[in-house]
Amino acid sequence: MSANEVHTEQSESIGAYALGALPALEAQVFERHLMGCDLCQEELRRLTEAVEALPRSVAPHEPPPSLKASLMEQVRAEAAPRQSSARERRRLTLPRLRPAMAWAAAALLIAGVLAGYGVSQLGGGDGDGRTLQAQVDMQRLPDGSATLSVPEDDGGGSVLRVDGLPDPGGGRVYQVWVERRGEVVPVSIFDVDTGGNGAAAIPGSLEDADAVMVTREPRGGSDAPTETPVLRVDI
Amino acid sequence: MDYARLADEELMQAVQGGDATAFETIYDRHGAAAFSLAYRIVGTRSAAEDATQDAFLAIWRSRVRYQRDRGSVRSWILGIVHNRTIDALRRNQVHATRRADAEGIEEREAASELTDVEAIRRDEQRKVRAAIETLPEPQVRVIELAYFGGFTHSQIAEMLDEPVGTVKGRMRLGLDKLRRELAGVTA
Repeated sequence: MSANEVHTEQSESIGAYALGALPALEAQVFERHLMGCDLCQEELRRLTEAVEALPRSVAPHEPPPSLKASLMEQVRAEAAPRQSSARERRRLTLPRLRPAMAWAAAALLIAGVLAGYGVSQLGGGDGDGRTLQAQVDMQRLPDGSATLSVPEDDGGGSVLRVDGLPDPGGGRVYQVWVERRGEVVPVSIFDVDTGGNGAAAIPGSLEDADAVMVTREPRGGSDAPTETPVLRVDI
Repeated sequence: MDYARLADEELMQAVQGGDATAFETIYDRHGAAAFSLAYRIVGTRSAAEDATQDAFLAIWRSRVRYQRDRGSVRSWILGIVHNRTIDALRRNQVHATRRADAEGIEEREAASELTDVEAIRRDEQRKVRAAIETLPEPQVRVIELAYFGGFTHSQIAEMLDEPVGTVKGRMRLGLDKLRRELAGVTA
């Protein structure tokens, strides 16, 4: 099937995708096409404007005061220990290492073993999830850093955020992989903006995953990594 | 700090730092819209309360995911409320009983006195409804079944006895026309 034919077929799903009406598998296929298709990205952006207006079409209803009371009771209970534990962490870990510094420190300790990866695990275990710092290959991503936010109940998915990543070049994109018991499966593709910032959603649970990794792949993504990862987060 | 004077995006910065009072202000601003959306989807006040509380807790717990360059706080919140409520709807298998209502998912109006804020919301509602009413009825039906009913394109195709391609086409055309109407552009 030619690229044009693929585009024609996939673009028919844009409306359903914008409305959340594509089954999961079809949505994944569409997302893969979307990452490499400027036309579909632009149309999706337009249609999303309409979707975001739909909540405004509903009749307004006031929630009962008891809803807010119950919600805020829980939120305040969760906020209190977090605020104190965050203060505690800051007190114990200052000065915090930036990933590059952490890499240098780690390299001194375990040079050779990690073969060029910056290492840090600055994120702590928050009450409602974890933020894990990535190990970054400082040769290929000299200014790069990344964090993986894994909610406590991560059935809804995790988020990988990157910062300071260069354009992958050569028409390539960054591709996210999840490693489970030695098996590596593709998850999603992302681009970075001019500041090197980007994010990728990792659907589903990472409970049984060993690591999340990123490689640079041809636009559209690969079925298997074509290079050693440029960054890696051990779960 | 006078939270009421802060923009949503500024409040979210505080929320991301774990500030519960900032989160309360966010709820005050968007809780009613969220509850209204959940009510529209699930159809009962008690289920809407559960869905709204569940969604706002999820928002609190995933607050680090908010990125201001990806859209407004309101859109982000309502997107989460929509997704969580539809998920709950699907989990509870309410679809079976809702199929009978597929001819038109009815609005359930609350009988309450109009406050100023509510009057503004109702005016906003009228404008969006007016834009929706310019769409051909088959396009409105598939859009509402998908968005408010949580049905997939193939479920809708089966319900309406139409090809999947037709359903997808109506969704795409309907959303495009709706966007143009809302922007004041006639197709």
